[in-house]
Amino acid sequence: MIIKIVEIIAIPVLAFLVGIFFLGLSRRIMARIHWRYGPPITQPIIDIIRFSYQESVSHGVIFDLGIIFSLAASIAVVLFIPLGGMCALSSSGGLLVILYLMLLIPLGVALSSGEGANPNISIGISRKLILSLGYEVPLILILLTLMTRYGTISIADIVSQQGSGWTIFSVPLFMSGIAYFLILPAILEIRPFDMASAPQEISSGHKVEYGGKYLAIITIEHAFTLFIGLALFVDLFLGGASNPLFFFIKMLVVFILCIFINAVFPRFRIDQAIRYLWKWPTALALAGLIATSVMW
Amino acid sequence: MNLEILLIAAFGGSFLTYFLGKFSHKVRDGFAVFISSALVVLVTFFYDKQVSINYYSGFFDLPFILRINTLSWFFAITIAGLGALSIAFSLSYMKERKGTNFYYLIMLLVNASMLGIVLSGDLVSFYIFWEIMSWTAFLLISYNRGPAIAAGMKYIVMSLAGSIFMLIGIFSLYANYGTFIIPEIGAGIASASSGFILFILIMFIIAFGIKNAVWPFHTWLPPAHSEAPSPFSAVLSGILIKMGSYGFLLIFYVIVGMNLFLGLGLGRFSFNYILCWVGAITIVIPTFTAMLQNDAKKLLAWHSIGQMGYIIIGISLGTSLGLAGGIFHFFNHALFKALLFLTVAAVEYRTRGVRDLNSLGGLVKKMPVTFIGVLVGALAIIGVPLTSGFVSKWLIYKTLILDGYSFLAFAAFIGTWGTLLSFYKLVHNMFLGQLPEKYKDVKKAPLSMQVPILILSGVILLFGILPGIPLKVINEIGTSFGFESLNVNIGGIASETGTLNTINILAVIAVAAILIWLFLRAGAKSRRVTQEDSYGAGLSVPTDKYHYTVEFYDPFSRMIKPYLRDVIDDFYNWIAKGAQKTFDHIRHLYTGDVGHYAIYIILFLAFLILASFGWFLL
Repeated sequence: MIIKIVEIIAIPVLAFLVGIFFLGLSRRIMARIHWRYGPPITQPIIDIIRFSYQESVSHGVIFDLGIIFSLAASIAVVLFIPLGGMCALSSSGGLLVILYLMLLIPLGVALSSGEGANPNISIGISRKLILSLGYEVPLILILLTLMTRYGTISIADIVSQQGSGWTIFSVPLFMSGIAYFLILPAILEIRPFDMASAPQEISSGHKVEYGGKYLAIITIEHAFTLFIGLALFVDLFLGGASNPLFFFIKMLVVFILCIFINAVFPRFRIDQAIRYLWKWPTALALAGLIATSVMW
Repeated sequence: MNLEILLIAAFGGSFLTYFLGKFSHKVRDGFAVFISSALVVLVTFFYDKQVSINYYSGFFDLPFILRINTLSWFFAITIAGLGALSIAFSLSYMKERKGTNFYYLIMLLVNASMLGIVLSGDLVSFYIFWEIMSWTAFLLISYNRGPAIAAGMKYIVMSLAGSIFMLIGIFSLYANYGTFIIPEIGAGIASASSGFILFILIMFIIAFGIKNAVWPFHTWLPPAHSEAPSPFSAVLSGILIKMGSYGFLLIFYVIVGMNLFLGLGLGRFSFNYILCWVGAITIVIPTFTAMLQNDAKKLLAWHSIGQMGYIIIGISLGTSLGLAGGIFHFFNHALFKALLFLTVAAVEYRTRGVRDLNSLGGLVKKMPVTFIGVLVGALAIIGVPLTSGFVSKWLIYKTLILDGYSFLAFAAFIGTWGTLLSFYKLVHNMFLGQLPEKYKDVKKAPLSMQVPILILSGVILLFGILPGIPLKVINEIGTSFGFESLNVNIGGIASETGTLNTINILAVIAVAAILIWLFLRAGAKSRRVTQEDSYGAGLSVPTDKYHYTVEFYDPFSRMIKPYLRDVIDDFYNWIAKGAQKTFDHIRHLYTGDVGHYAIYIILFLAFLILASFGWFLL
C-alpha cells in the first residue's frame, strides 16, 4: 500500500523531470544541428519558474478550468502507463482508459483556449483536432493489433508478455511498430506536424492568449505529452524495461531519432498531414491488424 | 397496485390536460408537469416486480395483456423521466406559441403510448400502441409547419412501411403458433426451422430498424429531428427512436431467444455478426456526416443515428458484456441526447430561433448553466471518463476487442473521434469564441429550462462515477435473457481480463486538478480581460468584421465531403418520385366522363368472360 502511494506521487514527478529534460535536450540538439550554440539544458525549468512570476491574462472561468483538466488528465495518463516495473494504476481499465484519457488532453486545451476569442486560436484548435483525428486512425489500428495479438486490454500484461522478445521484432507486428514510429512526430506535435502551433503563421495558434503561469502550465503539459507518446512506444514495442533507468534510456534513444526528423523537415499543411497519416502509416497498421487477425 | 393505473393515468392525464387548457393555461401547465412527474413516481413503485395480467380475451381471441419485468421497467422509468423533464422544459419554450393545448395533449399521448409499448404483453396491443406512437410523433414533428410538413411526411411514410413489415411478422407468427402472447410465442418458436426464424427476424428488424434509424433506414431522422419543436426533439431522439432498440431486445432475446438468435448463420458469418456490421456502418457514416452540419439540431440528429450504431453492436453481439454495454448505452444516450437537445433549445429560445452554428458564439458568459449542460452532454456523448457514456462504451469496446472483432472495434473508436470533433465544434461555435454584437443582451435561460438541464447533467455525472447503480438493473435484464451474470460493484465492473474502476480515475483527476489549481492560485494574479483585448500581433483583433468559426474544419470537410453523399436518401427519393409519376399516370384513368367509365366496365366484363373461357379451355 505504502509503496503504491509513493509510486503514485513519484511517477508524475519523474515524468515531469524526464519530459522537461527532453524539452531542454531537444532545443540543445536542434541548435547543434543548426550550427548554433543553443540554450542551457535547464532552460525550460528556468522558463517555468520565470513564467509563474509574470503577469498573465485570463478570459474567464473555462479559460482556467480547461487547462487545469488538460494537465490533470495528462498526469492521470502517466499513472496508467507502466514505467519499467513501476505501474501505479495500470490495472484499472488498461489501454482503453489510456486512450480515453488521452482524448481529454487536447479537449481540455481546446475548451480553455476556445474562450480566448482570438482568430488564431480557432485556426490552431481546428488544426489540432483534425491532426488528432489524423493520427488516431493509425494509432487505434496499432493498439487494436496489439490487444488482439496479446488477448488483453491491460497494458501491463502486454509489457510482461514481451519478456521473450520485443514486439517490434516479432513477425506481423513489426509493421505496427514502424507505423507507430511514423506517426510519433504527429503525436508529439513536432515538425513536420507542428501546424497547430505554427509560431510563424498563426502566432502559436491555441497558445496565443496564454501568458505567465498559463504558459508555464502549457509547457509542463507539453513535457507530459512528450513523455506519454514516447513511454507508450517503449512499453508497447520495445518491451518496457525492468527498471526505470533502462526505460528512460530507451525513451531517450527514440526521442533523439524524432528530434533528427524535427530538425530537418519543413512543416506540412494540415491537409497534407492528413493525407500522409491516412496513407502509409494507416496502410502499414492495417496490414499488421489483418495479419494478426488471421494468425491469431 | 395494478398496472392499468399507469396507462389510465398516462392516457387520461393527457386528455384531462387538454380540457384544463380550455379554461386556464396556468392550471394546464401545472397539471401537465404534475401528471408527468406522477408517472415517474408510479413507475418507481413497480421496481423489481414481475406482474402479468390478462385483462380481456373475448374479441376474436385477441388478448389484452399488460406485464412488467425488469426490461420493461427499465425502459418505462426512462420514458417517464424524460417525459417529465421535457414537459417541464416546454413550459417556457412553448409559452408564446399558438395551439399549446394540442401540443401538450400530443406530447403526453406520445409518452403514454410508449409506456403502453413497453408494458404490453401481447403483440396486438404492442402493435396498437406502436401505431399510436407513430402518428402522435408525426403530429408533433410537423407541428411547426413549413419545412416541418415535408419532414413529417417522410417520417410517416417510412414509419408506415415499417408497420407493414411488422404486421407481416406478427401474422406469420400467429399463423404458425395461434397466439399473440409473447411468452407463448417464445415457447413455440423453439422448434421452428431456421429459415422461418430468419424471415421473422428480417421482418421485425426492418420494422424496428426504421424507427431506430439504423443505416440504411435512417433518412427520415435528420429532417424530423431538426424540424420538430425542440423539447419534443429531446423525447424523439432520447427515447422514441429507442423503442426500436426495445423491439430489437424483445424479438432477439424474448421471442426468438438467445440460443436460436446467436446460432443463426454459417460459422463466423453468423446473423448477429452481420447485424454488428450494420451497426458499424451506422456509426461511421452518420458521425462524419454530422461533422459537416452547420445547423445545431441537424448535427445532433445525425449523431443520434451514429450512437444507435453502438447500441446495435452492443445488443447484437450476444455477449453479456456487450448486452450490458448496449442497454447501458441506450440509457445514456437517452440522457445525454435529451440534455443536448434541451440546451440547444435554450439557446434557440433566448436568441429567438437561431441555431446556425456559423452565426452564434461566445454565449458562455451569458448562459453559464446552459453551457454546463452542453459541456456535460458533449463529454458524455464523446465518452470521456467520469461521465456515464464512458462506461457503456468501455463495455462495448472491451467485449469487441476480447472476442476478436478488431475491425468492429476500429469503427467504434473512429466514431468516437468523429464525435469529439463535431461536439467540440458545437460547443465552440455556440459558447466559446467571440460574442457577436447582436447577442450582447442575451439573458440566461429561465428556471424551468435550467432545472431539467441541471438534473440531466447531475444524473450523467452520478452514473459516470457510480456506474454500479444502473448496471445492477441492466445485469438483471441480461440474466433474465439467459446471459451470464456480470460481477458488478458500485464503482464499475470487475473481471479477470481488465477491471474498470471509475472511482480510481475520479480520485486521480480530482487530486491532480486541485494541485494544479493551487499552483495557478500561487503564482502572480491573472488579470481578467474582455474579448476585444486579445493578441493581434500589434493590430487589434477586429470584432464582428468576420466570424472565424465559419466552416470550422474546412480543410478536412473538403477532403471527406465527396465520400459522404447520402446515396440511400437519393435512392428513396428516386423511388418516391417514380411512384408519384406512376400514380399520376394512373390518375388519368379517372376522366370524369361517364362514357369512359362505361367502357371500363365493359372491358372488364369482357376480360372476365375471356378469362373464364380461357380457364375452361385449359
